[in-house]
Amino acid sequence: MLKLQNVSVKYGSFTAIENLKIEVEEGQIVVLLGANGAGKSTAFKAISGLKKPSSGEIFFQGTPISRRTADKIVQLGIVQCPEGRHLFPAMSVYENLKMGAFVHRRKKDEIKKSMSHVFELFPILKEKQHDPAGSLSGGQQQMLAIGRALMSKPKLMMLDEPSVGLAPLIVEQMFEVIKTINKEGTTILLAEQNANAALKIADKGYVFENGSVVLQGTSNELFSNDEVRKAYIGA
Amino acid sequence: MEIFVQQMFNGLTIGSVYALVALGLTLVYGILHIPNFAHGALYMMGGYITLTMMTNFGLHYWLAILVSILAVGLIGVLMERLVFHPLRHAPPIHDKIAAIGILLFLEAFAQYVWGADYQTMPSPYDQVVHLFGLTFTMQRLLIIVFAIAVMILLYVFLKKTFIGATIIAMSQDREGANLVGINTNRTAMLTFLISGGLASIACSLAAPINLVFPGMGQLVILKAFVIIILGGMGSIPGAILGGYILGFSESLGATYISNDYKDIIAFVLLVIILSVKPTGLFAKGGH
Repeated sequence: MLKLQNVSVKYGSFTAIENLKIEVEEGQIVVLLGANGAGKSTAFKAISGLKKPSSGEIFFQGTPISRRTADKIVQLGIVQCPEGRHLFPAMSVYENLKMGAFVHRRKKDEIKKSMSHVFELFPILKEKQHDPAGSLSGGQQQMLAIGRALMSKPKLMMLDEPSVGLAPLIVEQMFEVIKTINKEGTTILLAEQNANAALKIADKGYVFENGSVVLQGTSNELFSNDEVRKAYIGA
Repeated sequence: MEIFVQQMFNGLTIGSVYALVALGLTLVYGILHIPNFAHGALYMMGGYITLTMMTNFGLHYWLAILVSILAVGLIGVLMERLVFHPLRHAPPIHDKIAAIGILLFLEAFAQYVWGADYQTMPSPYDQVVHLFGLTFTMQRLLIIVFAIAVMILLYVFLKKTFIGATIIAMSQDREGANLVGINTNRTAMLTFLISGGLASIACSLAAPINLVFPGMGQLVILKAFVIIILGGMGSIPGAILGGYILGFSESLGATYISNDYKDIIAFVLLVIILSVKPTGLFAKGGH
């Protein structure tokens, strides 16, 4: 479904990712593991069209997309929940969700349906739908970010560190929801430092170091790999 | 008492003009994150284009305003495309310098095309009306009614339509807007179009009770800055309320303090409000 073919991204003279090869099959949950600055977010930016690769190509369902702008990529069905969430803080929860459906703005019924689906997944958002997004707690903001992304009815959803800064109980809940979204037919690409939680729900993973993939395999393989355990699971 | 009511009415008139100018400025602030110093030049251009349409092309006042709105909106869009868009990755100081450059360019342009003389704009609405013991010209009443109608339309557009909401979304989080599928280039152009249109409406309405000259935008834009600082940078209700606060304080100040101090009132008000509430009246959280 998604294929990164030898993708490199540079910021000036600094190479943030080099020669990246990643493949995501339809229906999978794929996780990118790695420390801060390893290049996971840059890879997401490249896929989302926020940062153009300096070389290589990104294919989505067989079509090259590296030259498309970010708004066109959302129309294709790729959506990103970015690190830092990037919500509209002064808009209400309801308005944030509505903006999430921007690419479907002419289909009012669909927006309503997506909205009630999001409220089913995150009942707290329904309760707080009139509150400004900026007033929510960290966990609720993360839920809203996922909800807003879902409103675009994505085929592929990318989540950049959804567990960062959240209490363990909320993290568990978040990963449950991600699993549910995947079961409902959305392919998931996840960037995480929390390898333990991520590998439990993932089909396969890639380990990033300094902008390159140093290790890849099924979640079971990575879970039992000594280096992964040492570096990311701490056991 | 009669003088008080009369001055309140005048305040409402000037306040309406200020609010329209400040609204355009505050909308563009959401895109550039700097005050657009060239906004005063858009205001001035609006006045000249309406005047030219009326005197040289014989268009009716309303038709002339319509042409002026479109023309100044277009100047705004060109400004965004040719100057601010190429500078989007540059440090903010570049935007500021560029904005001042545009201001100087447009003022020199106006002086070259229309001359430096003060000109008057004839209005078909210069009748004097007596109502409830008050005396005012139709033009002043028109300013208030038309400005408020424009503000309501703008509010509905920004709040109730998807396209309008992209402007608000982009001002709150540009990357977030991009990631929900908003074409931020198009939104930036739309914002400049609206901002130019608002400046043109404001000037075309106010010009018949003032004069048209190349430097006419300077004092207005200075006051619009005060208004958006007062109301909180980027805040839409703040721009409207700030506009009227300034309008009322100026007209009341001119009557009860001294007409000579009229233009200083804005800045005294700024000092007072910022001392009490440094973030402005309607400051948004975050930046």
